[in-house]
This record gives sequence, C-alpha cells and structure tokens, in this order.
Amino acid sequence: MDAFYTSVEQRDTPALRGKPVAVGGQPEGRGVVAAASYEARSFGVHSAMSMAKAVRLCPSLVILRPDFTRYRQVSRQVFDMYRSVTSLVEPLSLDEAYLDVTENTWGEPLATTVARRLKRWIREETGLTVSAGAAPNKFLAKIASDRDKPDGLTVIPTQRVEAFLQTLPVEALWGVGPVSARRLRAAGVSRLVDVRTIDPRVLRDAVGSQAGWLRRLAHGIDDRPVTPDRTVKSSGSEHTYPEDLMDLETIRDKLDQMARRGADWLGRQALRARTVTIKVRYSDFTTVTRSHSKRPATRDADQIAARAMLLLGRTEAGTRPVRLLGVSLHNLTSADEVSDEHPGLPL
Amino acid sequence: MELTVRKTQLLRELQLFQGIVERKNTIPILANLLVEADDGAAEIQLVATDLEIGLRCRCAAEVTKGGALTLPAKKLYEIVRALPDTEIRITQSAAGTVNVAAERFNSRMQTLPREDFPALPKPSGTGTVHLPCAALLEMISKTQFAVTGEDTRYFLNGALLVFSGTSMSLVATDGHRLALVSISRAIPEGNDENTKVSDDDEARVILPKKTLSELARLLGDGDDVLAYERGENHLFFDIGGRQLVSRVLDAQFPAFERVIPKGNDKRVEFERDRLTSAIKRVALLSSERSRAIKLKIDVGKVEISSSSPEVGEASEVLSVEYEDAAVEICFNAQYLLDFLAVADSDSVVLEFKDEMSQAVFSPFSTDGCDYTYVIMPMRI
Repeated sequence: MDAFYTSVEQRDTPALRGKPVAVGGQPEGRGVVAAASYEARSFGVHSAMSMAKAVRLCPSLVILRPDFTRYRQVSRQVFDMYRSVTSLVEPLSLDEAYLDVTENTWGEPLATTVARRLKRWIREETGLTVSAGAAPNKFLAKIASDRDKPDGLTVIPTQRVEAFLQTLPVEALWGVGPVSARRLRAAGVSRLVDVRTIDPRVLRDAVGSQAGWLRRLAHGIDDRPVTPDRTVKSSGSEHTYPEDLMDLETIRDKLDQMARRGADWLGRQALRARTVTIKVRYSDFTTVTRSHSKRPATRDADQIAARAMLLLGRTEAGTRPVRLLGVSLHNLTSADEVSDEHPGLPL
Repeated sequence: MELTVRKTQLLRELQLFQGIVERKNTIPILANLLVEADDGAAEIQLVATDLEIGLRCRCAAEVTKGGALTLPAKKLYEIVRALPDTEIRITQSAAGTVNVAAERFNSRMQTLPREDFPALPKPSGTGTVHLPCAALLEMISKTQFAVTGEDTRYFLNGALLVFSGTSMSLVATDGHRLALVSISRAIPEGNDENTKVSDDDEARVILPKKTLSELARLLGDGDDVLAYERGENHLFFDIGGRQLVSRVLDAQFPAFERVIPKGNDKRVEFERDRLTSAIKRVALLSSERSRAIKLKIDVGKVEISSSSPEVGEASEVLSVEYEDAAVEICFNAQYLLDFLAVADSDSVVLEFKDEMSQAVFSPFSTDGCDYTYVIMPMRI
C-alpha cells in the first residue's frame, strides 16, 4: 500500500488531500513519524524521522495521531482480497505482503495480470493505491515493488533478472545494513553483482555468517517459500560498532534509538510487547543479556526506551568498553484485540 | 545519630511511606528512608522519594545526638510494626550500620550514604492556596479509577485538576470512559495566584496517578484544609504538616469538554443497589476478555444480559420507567461497577442517544457536587 496510514487519513478526510500529512507522535516530546504522505515526502519528511525534525522541514505539516483500529480494518479488507486470489499470502506488516500467485483463483497465467487486476480492484474497493512488484522470487519482488511508487507496477520476468541485478547497488541485498554495506564498499564492492566475484574470505570478514546467503542473492537466487500467516514471535536489532563505545551517554543514546525503532516496528505491525531484552557485548566478547517483562504489553516508545535504560543500568556498560548493543522485544500480542470492539472516546 | 521514638508514632508515619519508596529497586537509595534530626531536638524528619513523588514527615522523638542516615524503608516498617508498643532506640554505629532496638530486641541494618539521597524540592511559600481536604478526597475517589496505569497517551496517566473561580474540578479518563467531578464554592475566597490565570480565570494541572493515590492516603488521615502550591516543575501539598511533593506531569490534557455529550435525549433511572447486584451477577458469564454486558432498554424494563462463548449466558430484568424506542447498548461491566461503587446516591441516571454514542451516568441527587461519568458503548 502506498503511504498507507496517511492515504487512509486523506481518503477519509477530504480536507487533508493534497496536503503534507504525517501520522505519528507529537513533535514536543520525542514523537516519530510513522508514515508520511507523498506531499510531505517532497519536503524530505520520511518515516522513523523525529516529528520535531519533520516539522522543521515542513512547517505546514498536518500531524495526526495514528488510528490503528481503522488502519487494521482497511488492512483486513485488503488482505481478504489477496486471500480470495491465492491462499499463499505472507503478511510483512499491515500494508505489505508477499503473494504467491503461481496458482490463483482467477486462473490468470501471468503474475503481471494478477498484479494489474488486484491493483485495480483494491483501488475500486478502497480508493487506495498499491505498488506491486512481480518477479520469480521474494527478494526480487520486494525490490521491484519499491521501484515505482506510488501506484506502480514493476515486472521482472525471468529472462530479465540478470539485467536487473546488474543495476542494483550492494545495499539492495537483503540483510545488508549500513555497516555491512560500508565494509563491503571498503572492500571494493559497490554493485550487488560484485559480491559474486569478491574473495570469499573478504566477504566473510565483512558480513560474517551471511556470506553464503548474500552470494546466492547476488545471483538472484532466493528459494524461500511464501509462508502464509507466519506469526512473529519477537523482533530485535543489534549493532556492532566500528570502535568500542566507552562513553555511557553515547551508549544510552544508541540503545535509546534502537528501542525506539523497535517500538516503531511494533506500531507498524500493530503489535505490543511484554518483554524488553537488551544485549551488551563487551570488548573482550563476553556477552550479557538483561530482560524485563511487564503487563500489560506496550508499544509505547518512551516506555520501551525507559525500560531499556533501566536494563542498561544492570550491566557494566560505561565502565567496560562495549562493542555490540542490541534491543529485542518478545512476548508479542496483537495491539488492539479489545479496542476493536471497544471504541474510544473522541478525545 | 542517636534517638528514641514511640513505636505507634513512628509506625503511623512509616506506613505513609510505603507507597512512596521505589519498589522496582533500580536505584537502591530510592528504597531508603532519610532520617534527619538536630542535636537535642524533639522531633525527627523523615523523607522518601522515587524521584516522581516524595514525602516529608515529622515524628516526635527524643534526639540525643543529631545527624542523618538512610534506612531501607520497607524493612524498617516491618520491624517497627512487629515491635510491641514501646520506645524504639535508633543508633548509628561507626561502621555505617544502624541499630534499631526496643526492649530486648536488637537489630542491625546496612545503611546507604546520606550523600546519595536525592534532594527533595521545597515549596517557595508563595502562591499558596488552601483547599478543603474532604472535597478533594471525594473528588479523587470518584475519578481515580478511570486513570490508566500505562498508556501511550502520556496525559492519560493522571487526572486533571481545574480551578475556576471558586469551583474545583477533577477529570480522569482512560480513553474509553471519563469521570468528572466538580464542586462549586470549594475554594475559600482570598485564595488567588495559583487558582487563577489572567485570561480565562482558570488554572489546570495534571496530577499523576501515583500522586492521586498517595494524596488520598494522606487526606484520609488529615485535617480540614491543605495548603497547595504549584512550583515550576513540582506540586506541593501540605496536609497537617506532612508534605507531599509531586513532579508535574508535563503533558497536555485533552479538551475533555468535547467528550461530554449534549444531545442525549433518552433517560433511565435505576436504583443503584439493584443495578449493581444485577450487573455483578450477570457479568459472571460475560466474556472474560471484554467483560461486555448488554442493556436491552425497552418500555418499562431493562434486560441486562451477557454471554461468553466458552461458558454460557445470563440475564436479569429490572423494572424501570422508560417510554422511548427500544435500544440495545453494550458496556464493559467493570466500567459500570467502578462508577456505581462510588456514586453515593440511592438512584443513578443513565442518559443516552443510541447504541453508539457516548452515554452518561450520574448520581440522581447532587448537593454541591456535580458528578458526570461518560462511557463509550462497546460494539455489539
């Protein structure tokens, strides 16, 4: 779905159409942008940016508090449409999914036609636009869907996979974050296809155990099946720093960012977490994890960040140098199973 | 430091600190109580804080040798509670430990350095407002339950106190229901400053959830009048010499007035006790997750019903005076019971428009105290 939350808002409130709109927290405090309309994006506003910065970039920005109940309703409506075409639907978030349309109820032989029909149908039913990518596997389909937005359709037929791969930068690889990308670029890899020819030892040094997987992707090979209704059990991120972190303020800052990104992810998945876990690896590679569980589950960034800070207090970070930090969220529950049937007051 | 103190007197104060000290034990000193006294003084000062809220009390004592020390608040309370009604001797030893003794009992506890104890802000003494304790306590008990413990909307983690002219209101909401109490002529004449701001003659401040409950505890034990002062970052309440200090909840409370419906044209009056017992019985078979009960309001009667897919269903009929069109409206049973428990009148009134719009419960009689409980119906 294109700019999903804001598109729903603009659809339902005509006065917002054509205006820069962002859904997310308030700029006072530490609210972040959960979604930005295309009008807002032209000012440089994008999701995960702090709302304060977004307002600086775009003073006329209309800020709306997210209404997940409504987004979930629309999401359900769209997913129902997907599932009427194929049973192999793998949701990535409220507004993103993989569909395996090799077999489809329309009997369409071409994925491209299925994508085109679905796009039209969704637009008619919901008034919202979708960008789609049709390709032989998940890796390529995902890149293709990001190619042409909004309301785009990018098709990569098997015979054009190689030509397509040749155009991609190394960052397009699934699982290559900014740090690995920097290391790969330092090793002389800038295009995705360079990964094929790089010395395996250099690749292993740069990306560790992911080396084999990335090499297959660089050949356009990805045989992961589309798995319907995969339930997410946890989410986390960790980061190894190029230089050990000594300063507690810096460590707190990094951990705070990760915790907030985790909260942001929960928001997008319409989930809440009961458990926050942090991981600290000291310079001598000894690793500790600290966990905190509490009811009710939350997706509030401030709370999750505060709990990560408390947990940090139970490590030796700041007195011992730290090479890796991680934050993960567990014991996930669906965000609003009760609020669906219990609407809120119009505060 | 060396002093003796009467058990009953110390115990009374220590009780008040149990809700104040930090329980999560993340910063050890916050689990401690600071005890301070001057040489030869006739009282000691006790302080505890979790950095959000703090309490300062005094207790009569015989101080032989002044000083300051910190003790684990919970342990000290347990020990004092377990002692017979007698004199308790508290003595600081050289090696950073403290002896607490009485009659033939003796104990020694670890202390934490006094220097680690955070400073608790003090009121400036200007702009003090005197408020009636009983009125404030009543307002807290009628709204407190609607404050959410934990909400992403930060402002909902407290209740809004509004001063307007001589009247005082307290509002709390968890986003699904809202409780509003107003007491007119609550504030004695001659109070100004804090209760007034220049333009709209109204002052607003959010009292955090924990502040509400600790305030209620202190008010229950207290005087007629409390002294309130709003500092820049802290609120100060002086109740009979005990000083509660609360950090200001830095958030904007929503325009709650908008939520209170105006066009509720249908009305049912209930006997409070009968409605309460009926809901309690019927709710036993409501869905455990949603706690939903249905009120089927029809000419002359209301049928309260529930059903739980796993267990079964229940219903009970109450006779009422009602002439309008039949309506089925669903509520969270707990939300209704919360209100009914504190609405101190024989009858309560339900006013509503349809099964989707905000309904309002209120006690039938109101003498000077206006109580409005707005509740969002559930989807049937």
